[in-house]
Parts: sequence; structure tokens; C-alpha cells
Amino acid sequence: MPGSRTVAIAWAVAAKDLAIEWRTKTALLASLVFAVLVLAILFFARDATAVPTLDVAPGALWVTFSFAAMLGLNRAFLLERENHALDGIRLTPASPTALFLGKMLGNLVFVGVVELVSLPLFVLFYDVAIWQGLPVLLLVMALATVGFVAVGTLLSAMVVRTRFSEVMLPVLLLPFLLPPVVSAVQLTWRILAARPLAELSGWLSMLAAFDVIFVVLSVLLFEAILIE
Amino acid sequence: MQSADPPVAVRGLSRRYGGRWVLRDVSLSVAPGEVMLLVGHNGAGKTTLLRVLAGLVRPTRGEVVRCAPPGVVAHHSMLYDALTARENLAFFARLHGVADRGRVPHLLDRLGLAAVADQRIATFSRGMLQRLAIARALLDDPALLLLDEPLNGLDEAATDIVLNVLEERRVRGGAVVVASHQFAELVALATRIGYLVAGRLAALEPLATRNAGQILERYRALARAG
Repeated sequence: MPGSRTVAIAWAVAAKDLAIEWRTKTALLASLVFAVLVLAILFFARDATAVPTLDVAPGALWVTFSFAAMLGLNRAFLLERENHALDGIRLTPASPTALFLGKMLGNLVFVGVVELVSLPLFVLFYDVAIWQGLPVLLLVMALATVGFVAVGTLLSAMVVRTRFSEVMLPVLLLPFLLPPVVSAVQLTWRILAARPLAELSGWLSMLAAFDVIFVVLSVLLFEAILIE
Repeated sequence: MQSADPPVAVRGLSRRYGGRWVLRDVSLSVAPGEVMLLVGHNGAGKTTLLRVLAGLVRPTRGEVVRCAPPGVVAHHSMLYDALTARENLAFFARLHGVADRGRVPHLLDRLGLAAVADQRIATFSRGMLQRLAIARALLDDPALLLLDEPLNGLDEAATDIVLNVLEERRVRGGAVVVASHQFAELVALATRIGYLVAGRLAALEPLATRNAGQILERYRALARAG
């Protein structure tokens, strides 16, 4: 378990990132506009008489979530590039684990807000009944988000010093997004189809396993990435 | 800050970027209470040497022994434009584990920034940013301060404030390494001077003169000697 100093530093880093985002709203607005556009385009692109909603809705939801999140993840370490603030952080005795957890926590809140704002829009566009399965759907969203935000935070730190970091992040992140997003799509389809809970447990376990692997590996690799 | 150990010592330090050696075989040790002035033309290796001493860059060859993380003022402020001066310092104070809640207001006051403490630093002038960067570097009262062109952008009053802060630290036993190619104001504080020529520490000696012109002459002579 992380010590109290680790928690305090992680909290300070996350609070700082969220305060900056709240003031500038750059990534939040971009992500929300992007989410609305994707949901609308995918909705109008299908022929509702030929393709059942249930066949497209889960994919549309997770394409929206993952790509909108990517915009925010890209911003996570660009903040630290401003005035070389990352050097200032590296000069403190704060542990890389605490810094990583702080950046990840900030990203989780950011992506969580984007998802929670997009979800009602998704219901509006696709007219799907999610209320009965809402608690499980929220659990799936939380589990999938933790997985790809962990890897996204790590890769964002890795590419921030490269010249084309905005392009590099999606290229590197997409392969890692596949396992959690595929699991989440499968689970969302079953939730929207009101399938029995027993059918979800395997996918849920897989999603939880991805989270553990991704978070542990990201924490372990972050220190090496911090050193120039 | 009262430790008798050298806050930083390096031996045989070299650093290469691509195919170019930016630092070559540099050895030095900084004693507590010492203000070491590093002079050299642009590209002589001053900034790289300070970054290696700070631990921000790994040397290609050689050894660096550092007692604790130093306070660093570099070309960039290492601060966040969207935060206020107070918020910036409070954030870094938390990361340094500074328990004294009075430390941030004290430093803002000491560096002449108390009146603008709650303004976002995006509105700050170069001189205000530089003073805030110095305040950030002093947060945890480090045994060693590494300063790269610390007087850049400062007016006369701000220069006096910074020089007073540095003198105060020297008297209290803190070590300072300061790199500058505009060193006229800094020679009054310095106890030793290092001449960096094309990545080599051509000479490291006690300050024989406080005359900037003579120091420049000495540098030119060392540069000509290669």
C-alpha cells in the first residue's frame, strides 16, 4: 500500500492538473465536442431499418470514449512541457510512483467527466434502455477506463519529449487499448441486451486482470521514462 | 545546510549529444559556503554542466556525487502559467515535503512578489518569473543552489534582491554554483571562478580580481591557449 507521503504527492499532482484544466478547459472542451461529433456521425451513418441499434451502440460508445479520452491523455504531459515544469518536478524528492499515480488520478477524473457527460448523449442518440443495467455499466466504464488511462498516462510521459507527441500517442496507445476496449464492448452489448449477470463475470474478470497488469507495469516503467 | 560534506563533487565528467562532446573531462567539488562562478561563451557547456550537477542529465562518462537534490534556476521557469505565484510555490513545496506553512509567504515576500502572489504567472514579466523561479529553488532550503543566468531580465532593484538572497545563503553556509556570461554583478559574491572553454574546464581558481574586464581577458587568454 502506498504510504501517506505518496498519497499526499499523488493528490497534489492530480489537484494541480485538474485546477489547470478547470481554468483553461482546453482539453475538456475539445474532448466533449469530439465525443458529441463521433456519437452523431456514427448515429447518422447507420440505416436504422437495416442495422439493429444493439449491433452498433456498444461499439459507438467505446469508440467515442476511447478517442475522446486520447485527446485528454495527450494533454496530460504537455502541461509538464510548458516552461519545462517536468524538470522542476524531477528536482523534488517526490517518488516516481507518487507522480505517476497523481498524473493517472488526474487523467481518470478527466476521462470520467468526459464519459459521464457523453453517456446521456449516447442514450439520447441511440434510445437504449440502460437504467436497469446502469450500475454494471458504470462498473465496466470504471474498469476499462482504469486500464487504458494507466497505459495512456505512461505513454503520454514517454512521447512528450518527441517532436510529434500528439501523433505518437494514438499510434502507440491503440494496440494497448484493444484488450480493455474489446472486453468493454462485449460487456456493454450484454448489458444493453439485458443478459444475465452470470454471462458477464468472465469478461469482467478479464477487464480487472488487464487493469492490474497495466497499472503495475506502468508504475514500474514510469521511473525509467522520467530519466532523460 | 550546515553539513561539512561537499554538496556536489564530479570527477572525469563528460557528456556527448549525438556526435558532439559538450563537456569533456570536468572535475570539480563545491564546498559549503562557496559561491562558484562559471564563465564561458554561449555553447561552452555551462548549462549542460549545471544540468548534470542537478541530476537532470546523466553524464556520458564520469561520476557525480550529490548529497541532496539541489535548488535549480534554469533558462525556463519550471512553473505553470495557469497557476498563481502562490499556487505554484505551494505545489512544489508539497512535492518537496516542506512542512512549514510560512515558507511560501516568506519567500514571496523575500523575493518582492507578495503583492502579486495571487496573480496567474502568465501575466508576469520575465523578471518576476525569474524571481519566482528563485523562490521555487529555495523552497526546501537546499544545501546547493545551481543558477543559470539568474540575473537575466531583472531590473536594478530585483538584481539587488537576488544578490542579497545569494549573499545570505553564502553566509549561512550554503553553496552556490552560478553560470553566466554577464557576470559583472556576480563577481562581488563569488569565491572561486571556473572558466569553461569548449566543454573543458580550462581553469578553476580562487577569484584573483573582481574586475569583470580582467576576468574577460583571462577567459580570452585561456580560449586562445585552447
